Amino acid sequence: MNALPDRHDTAAEPLPRDPADGRTLAQRLSTRYASRITGAFVVPGREGSFAPLPEDLPPALATALRSRGIGQLYSHQAQAWTASQAGGHVAIVTPTASGKSLCYTLPVVAAAMTDHAKALFLFPTKALAQDQVAELLELNQAGALGVKAFTFDGDTPGDARQAIRLHGDIVVSNPDMLHQAILPHHTRWAQFFENLRYVVIDEVHSYRGVFGSHVANVIRRLKRVCAFYGVRPQFILCSATIGNPQQHAEALIEDAVTAITESGAPSGDKHVLLWNPPVVNPDLGLRASARSQTNRIARLAIRSGMKTLVFAQSRTMVEVLTRYLKDVFDHDPRKPARIRAYRGGYLPKERRVAERAMRAGSIDGIVSTSALELGVDIGGLDVVVLNGYPGSVAATWQRFGRAGRRQQSALGVLVASSDPLDQYLVRHPEFFRDATPEHARIQPDQPLILLDHIRCAAFELPFSGDELFGSDVAAPWLELLGEEGVLHREGDRWEWIADSYPAIAVSLRSVADGNFVVVDRTDGRQTIIAEVDYGAAPVTLYEGAIHMIQSLPYQVERLDWAGRKAYVTRTQVDYYTDAIDYTKLKVLDCFDSAHAGAGEAHHGEVHVVRRVAGYKKIRFYSHENIGYGPVNLPDQELHTTAVWWQLEPAVLDAAFEDRQQALDGFLGAANALHLVATVAVMAAARDLQRSVGSGDGAWFVGTDTHGRSQLRGGDGQPAALAAGAPFMPTVYLYDAFPGGIGHSEPLFQRREDLIAQAISLIERCDCRAGCPACVGPVPAAAEHAADAGASGRQDTAASGTPKALALRVLALLEAA
Amino acid sequence: MSALHTRLRQLRSQAGHPPAPVPVRPGGATALPGPTGSPLSDDLRRLLQRHAELKRAPVRLDASDREVPGIELSPGLRYTECRIDWLQPRAIVDATFARMPPVDHRRLLHFDTETTGLAGGTGTRAFMIGAADWIDGQFRIRQLTITSIAAETAMLRRFAEWIGDDSVLVSYNGKCYDAPLLATRYRLARLPNPLAGLAHIDLLHPVRRHWKGQWENCRLATAERRLLGVVREDDLPGAEAPAAWLTYLRGGSARNLRRVAAHNAQDLKSLAGVLLSLAGMA
Repeated sequence: MNALPDRHDTAAEPLPRDPADGRTLAQRLSTRYASRITGAFVVPGREGSFAPLPEDLPPALATALRSRGIGQLYSHQAQAWTASQAGGHVAIVTPTASGKSLCYTLPVVAAAMTDHAKALFLFPTKALAQDQVAELLELNQAGALGVKAFTFDGDTPGDARQAIRLHGDIVVSNPDMLHQAILPHHTRWAQFFENLRYVVIDEVHSYRGVFGSHVANVIRRLKRVCAFYGVRPQFILCSATIGNPQQHAEALIEDAVTAITESGAPSGDKHVLLWNPPVVNPDLGLRASARSQTNRIARLAIRSGMKTLVFAQSRTMVEVLTRYLKDVFDHDPRKPARIRAYRGGYLPKERRVAERAMRAGSIDGIVSTSALELGVDIGGLDVVVLNGYPGSVAATWQRFGRAGRRQQSALGVLVASSDPLDQYLVRHPEFFRDATPEHARIQPDQPLILLDHIRCAAFELPFSGDELFGSDVAAPWLELLGEEGVLHREGDRWEWIADSYPAIAVSLRSVADGNFVVVDRTDGRQTIIAEVDYGAAPVTLYEGAIHMIQSLPYQVERLDWAGRKAYVTRTQVDYYTDAIDYTKLKVLDCFDSAHAGAGEAHHGEVHVVRRVAGYKKIRFYSHENIGYGPVNLPDQELHTTAVWWQLEPAVLDAAFEDRQQALDGFLGAANALHLVATVAVMAAARDLQRSVGSGDGAWFVGTDTHGRSQLRGGDGQPAALAAGAPFMPTVYLYDAFPGGIGHSEPLFQRREDLIAQAISLIERCDCRAGCPACVGPVPAAAEHAADAGASGRQDTAASGTPKALALRVLALLEAA
Repeated sequence: MSALHTRLRQLRSQAGHPPAPVPVRPGGATALPGPTGSPLSDDLRRLLQRHAELKRAPVRLDASDREVPGIELSPGLRYTECRIDWLQPRAIVDATFARMPPVDHRRLLHFDTETTGLAGGTGTRAFMIGAADWIDGQFRIRQLTITSIAAETAMLRRFAEWIGDDSVLVSYNGKCYDAPLLATRYRLARLPNPLAGLAHIDLLHPVRRHWKGQWENCRLATAERRLLGVVREDDLPGAEAPAAWLTYLRGGSARNLRRVAAHNAQDLKSLAGVLLSLAGMA
């Protein structure tokens, strides 16, 4: 996305005066760059709330804490202690850097000291696990507590594993290791399990969607193995702010939890600015790059003496921004570096050095990927700049949460990229300000995921006929596995009989259905540079596709569908490609229906056939269509869940001149609904898909080569409806995961809200006729018609724009 | 409640039709209880099968040759014993080659398991345990074979009875394979592990020390051919043992299961032979 020159980079910028805090810098930016700031608000800080060290804490532990400078606790830490001592499961939900880890460290270490009780810690990443162990070791040393903590992950050498299994009081690992290495070998961990008292799961907000659904099933297996060893461990879960922390924690462990949601940690005011780069080419609607703006803001902040953290979306962008800032601040090699990059792909040692330097305060600017979003300790920061929207409100707040000291005000700036989602957000500051953070959702009973884990569970311990897995009987799944030949039924028991190790074949982090690898063949290389999910392959890896990796364009030269490989070469183009896929849906079952204005909304199970027929070439920034190419791939089939809206023929006949208009309107409405729905359910855009067609699969709508809607028959060929044929166009939003992953039900619940948001999105878009940020790319003809309309001939042209048509459809669906 | 959940629940409630009749298991008196009727919808079932690429397991086999040798100690547990004249150990065997003090030959317990696979973890089990020792100057070979999974616990208990406090285990790769596998099985059966803490001579290691690089490989079959001149005829390759037992378990022929037993017995003889060769070289 950096094909355009940064014209504004060299423009004059205000000189810093005194060392600033978040408030003064926010003011200064707001004055100087008023036109770029689309939203500004303040999240007020709070006083600290403290509690004495609990009296029932083991004295040696209290001494160790005091020697580490901890003479009292924040109120939430004290509450967590009390709740854990009461014996129930606990969930702690407080902002970043509020001292969450002490909430679980105290009960775990105390139990290890007094009862030799063991604890299992699960973190989503290895880096966090290592941090945690380092912290535990320091505390242990400070008080000579004799508590042994070890990481157990893929890097743990074989000869150390036996010692960890036998002697570890606290084993710090991740869900993947639990799934593939610990549970399938649980007999080796017998002593550990027999004494297991606590299971600590940190960063539970990251366990959502497919990953979270897998993890919930791993927890089911863990509980099953624990039951075999006669223990019922207590769960302590920690989450960053999400919309439904307690519900999510309870969904993960399938048990009631006590939630602690009031942080006692003090914090200063937080100023937030939403920043849209200035328009640099009004004719093409081009804006300056987010990168240039991010660079400018970071420079100003660092010059003002503020510790600044920049989040970039890709590793490459981290390097680019680091370089720009180093050019300004680190040009003298004799002085210690003031700017550092931090991202995945660095060696752990390098990252530890960077973390230490940041904690010590010798670094003024850090540029990072999402690697720093989670709880890695890097000390106090004043300013956080986001180069692009991270994809969810919750993640945005988590990143902003990195800035903030106890007394001083902090600043967070979200710089929008040209991506439609980013543009939507900065143009709707109220959405961002008022939005409750997204709900994390999981669907542990998703059939494919459930089957995978019942398979793994059957390997670990035999099932008895009436046994529950989660909340349901496992029997029907066991019968299926029996038919497959991996289980053998004898009397009332199902026993594992196959010569295989099922956990190896189940990846928690993706849909393991034959991922595609992307092979770079530039200059005779043969390097694997990326992996793409099976489901995403047909729309991203067709021959001719521009496949972006770390914002560098590669062109797909050959796709080996059977071999699951795409061969690409590095290229230099100013466009990206967008698959033209026709989706045919057939409703199998309707779970729920409701009135939606003059139409109806539904929610149910659908059969989806997706065909990628070709692709569009779209120029960066201006988003013009500059060409087409054909694609020849097998059809994709999917049984999944969907939410859909439809209007009766009579209503449409009254509202539209002809059917073509109505279909154009439905396509535009689908685009807008898809955009707001993606934001609403915290989905990745490709996990939720849209389609327009008839409810019975008889026909569906795509775009023709001119960008106009085109009705196609069941065979995918352009078709026309007979004048008397039933005409009930329907817009669908469906889960792009076999069996559904639970997006569609919440969408159905929020159906009225979504329609209202889609209307607001289109109405407030700056474009005239329609654009990718609202109703999708529009044909040039529509632009011209709109221009003509704007220049005086104010009749049918403007009211026939894709924007207007989409609004008409949505208005009909809007609740009265 | 999620939609899918509702759907499955709905389907399950529809699944109340009577179970389909199931053929009586050949060779056994017990009929398995019929399947409880599948509550998964056809659509869901097809979806799952396509995604997991489920292979239809062989239908229940129906063979007339169901003879597993030995006597039945308890339901599903068969036992064979034979004594053969085979080599003549010295009363005290020199175990220097294994870096151990001399051992009274009567303490040696050679053992070897046949398992359902090599995948490891809690899902792999032994369906046959063979053990051999010296008694009254003869080599006594005892084998336990299970013909039902439920008999595993009885097999483990019986094997434990053969092991004394002062037994010295003899195996080929048993430290890494058979012993941990049995430890897992005893743990799962909630029984104490009788192998724990015993002296254990794993012959693979001294064989490797002596002949690695000189022989084509250090497998037991190679060692017995090189050291004892044994050439096996009609030997069932070890890799086929899991299938042999599974075939029998599913109602198929016992022929290959008997070949597994013969293979296991030969392994035990070779263990003793290799051990005495190594001891004699000192």
